[in-house]
Amino acid sequence: MYHTSPLLHFAEDELQLIALLFMATVYALKIRWILRFPAGGDRQAPGNARTDGPTGAKRSLLSIAMPWAMGSTRQHPFLYAQFVVFHLGVAASILMSFVIPYAPGLIRGPALIAMLQALFALAALVGIIRLIRRLTDIYVRSISSPDDYFSMVLLIVWLVVSALAAPNRRELSEGPLLAYFFLTAFFLIYVPFSKISHYIYYPFARWYLGRTLGHRGVYPLVKGA
Amino acid sequence: MSVARSYKAQKVIDRLQLKVNRQIMLSLAACVHCGMCTDQCHYVLANPGDPTYAPAYKADRIRKLFKAHLDWTGKAIPWWVGAKSVYTDEELEDLKDTVFGKCTNCRRCSFNCPMGVDLATFNRMARGLLVHVGVMPTGVLHVAKDQWELGNQMGVLREEYLDILSWMEEELQSEYNDPTIKIPIDKPDADVMYTINPREAKYDPRTIAEAAAIFHFAGENWTMPSEGWDMTNFGLFNGDDELGAAVSGRLYDTAEKLRAKKIVISECGHGYRSTRCEGANWGKRTVGTPMETSIFTMLEYIKQGRIKVDKTKNQQPVTYHDSCNLARSCGITEEPRELLNLVCGDFREMHPNRSENFCCTGGGGAMSMTEYAPRRLASAKVKAEQLRATGAKIVVTSCHNCVDGLFDLIRHYKLDMEVKLLVNLVANALVMPARVAAVKPVAAPEKALAGRRILVVDDEPDVRTYLRMIFKDEGAEVIEAPDANQAMRLLKTERPDLMTLDLIMPHKTGEKLYWELRKDPDFTGLPIVIVTGYARVETPAINFHKFIEEKHLPEPDGFLEKPIQPELVLDTVVNILAKKTIN
Repeated sequence: MYHTSPLLHFAEDELQLIALLFMATVYALKIRWILRFPAGGDRQAPGNARTDGPTGAKRSLLSIAMPWAMGSTRQHPFLYAQFVVFHLGVAASILMSFVIPYAPGLIRGPALIAMLQALFALAALVGIIRLIRRLTDIYVRSISSPDDYFSMVLLIVWLVVSALAAPNRRELSEGPLLAYFFLTAFFLIYVPFSKISHYIYYPFARWYLGRTLGHRGVYPLVKGA
Repeated sequence: MSVARSYKAQKVIDRLQLKVNRQIMLSLAACVHCGMCTDQCHYVLANPGDPTYAPAYKADRIRKLFKAHLDWTGKAIPWWVGAKSVYTDEELEDLKDTVFGKCTNCRRCSFNCPMGVDLATFNRMARGLLVHVGVMPTGVLHVAKDQWELGNQMGVLREEYLDILSWMEEELQSEYNDPTIKIPIDKPDADVMYTINPREAKYDPRTIAEAAAIFHFAGENWTMPSEGWDMTNFGLFNGDDELGAAVSGRLYDTAEKLRAKKIVISECGHGYRSTRCEGANWGKRTVGTPMETSIFTMLEYIKQGRIKVDKTKNQQPVTYHDSCNLARSCGITEEPRELLNLVCGDFREMHPNRSENFCCTGGGGAMSMTEYAPRRLASAKVKAEQLRATGAKIVVTSCHNCVDGLFDLIRHYKLDMEVKLLVNLVANALVMPARVAAVKPVAAPEKALAGRRILVVDDEPDVRTYLRMIFKDEGAEVIEAPDANQAMRLLKTERPDLMTLDLIMPHKTGEKLYWELRKDPDFTGLPIVIVTGYARVETPAINFHKFIEEKHLPEPDGFLEKPIQPELVLDTVVNILAKKTIN
């Protein structure tokens, strides 16, 4: 039986826990920071009987899964598909960073591994397409900061490394796994300070917008003829 | 090394920290620069290739400030996340150009942002920061000042307002030959307190008369207040919450004082939103009086059988333009359509519509910012195409701002279409009760300007609308030009009998046009009446009298100062044309 090297053991266990703890701490502080800003209220009477604040908030939170509900996603299905693939790839890779050290039996069999690798490769490809768009589209380029570029490159590299690490063949080479876990740790530490932390804001931003618009009788939207 | 910051810039930064609430903070922090909002903005669609119009770019101008002063990473490593503060008054002017001149706060991008970033809300906040230090378009300053000082945004004096109501009451009594028709003022315990947009009093009083006729025939117990009657609110446009609270507060207090059971708000998108939705939040108060838009009131009257309408009276094809404030901020999309289907025979939907509709391009106070008019009209291309595709002859909207915005773009893009409010169509479709309908028709008196063609040249759409109404009422055919170049073209093709001319206009001044016309043998005989808000000889930069003296030009046939007095304008024009005929 193959014995994992102390370095890989540290990278996939202690290092991950430290990075996760760090990320959770920063996130907790971030949420505290968000809540320090006073929330604007809705003192006026409800807009109509068709909907209300909580209904609007729920619909707003789910809107990301309803590409037909927004003109921007409806008119750009390819961009929406990219969004789905990219985020599925990232979510799968995050999940994999827990599965490999603590429940490796869950990723077993060549078919599942091949599927995971394909997902990571596809997500990395989407990342490259998005990077190219960021570099060439005059509108997106004009608003891009170094963080935008770095975050994208970081994720592309991480997804490529995820594809290489997915088979978890440490007996052949620990290289891909070491790269994957060190990158994951860096990712976890960097994320709270970068645009990648947008998912912390997403539920709050969407909830407040939906609550306000629901209270006013706007959300859920009435579809046009 | 710290960089010196101007007094105003420092004030803006100080106030930023006070004005960012949780919703705004989240909108500022959540943007991922994905660019999905880009082609949802009419400015972008009409100006392809210019990234400065993109919603995310405009948002980033404000976001940079937020990151520099309130965001952790932005404070630690500003260059990495694009944080940037403001230091000079020039930078504030540049920001003004973005937040006032490149966005109408229509909220279309907010509805298309996957993250729920609400640009319109924090763009309004940024406007407020600039207004606080006096950085704003001149028109915004004037309108806000009028609303603070006189209680309404068009500077209508109390006496003037009451005169107009009295005039409309007389008109109604004469039109229907019914002395019982009244416009009750300050009547206590009324079921409805009707509040209006000052544009109605100033430029379009017929809408007041039409609403009054509807209330009368519905048998409503209603009133109009003598104070606190302006339901519009420039605080929404200039981001000044204090102004917003003061204006809406006046209206709420009046309703309470009169013990009105309900406030009915005439057709106005931003007015409805401000009074119904925002005022209580700006003033941090609870408003006990229920409020509704007159759209609901008219619809209910028809449904309850309190008024009868005949849709065959409105036979021309009609389309509906959703006001951004009504559709995207107040959820009013279906009632106007229900009403339209009751009062007109050929209603055609515009695409996209409801909350996906494009802005009329006159929203967010844009109509008061004349310096941005060329930009506004260029961006109106999207709306013009939407309108043209319907094939309708009438575009109906429920917003006075939209009326002006649409009217301007219809002229600019030469669409064969007119703009109306719902109240116009409902009043036109009214079926009179038998007693009134039996009135003998009275022969109309001969109109003083019948057969005359008048060219109105003014960059302000409201002024053009008002003059058009005055001249059309007297039977004239009116053509309009928003600037001197268009005026010159129309003079050659339309050959008007008389021209009214504003002096201060973009591109080419009225002075220059006057000079050119007086030098041109084709137009030396054309009567010209100057109608200007800057006529006083002590205004050195625009001393028209000195100008014509220096250039050895003849005096104009008439010279009138704004605010326009309808009788004076009419007398002047009628007399000039009468003299011309005799000569």
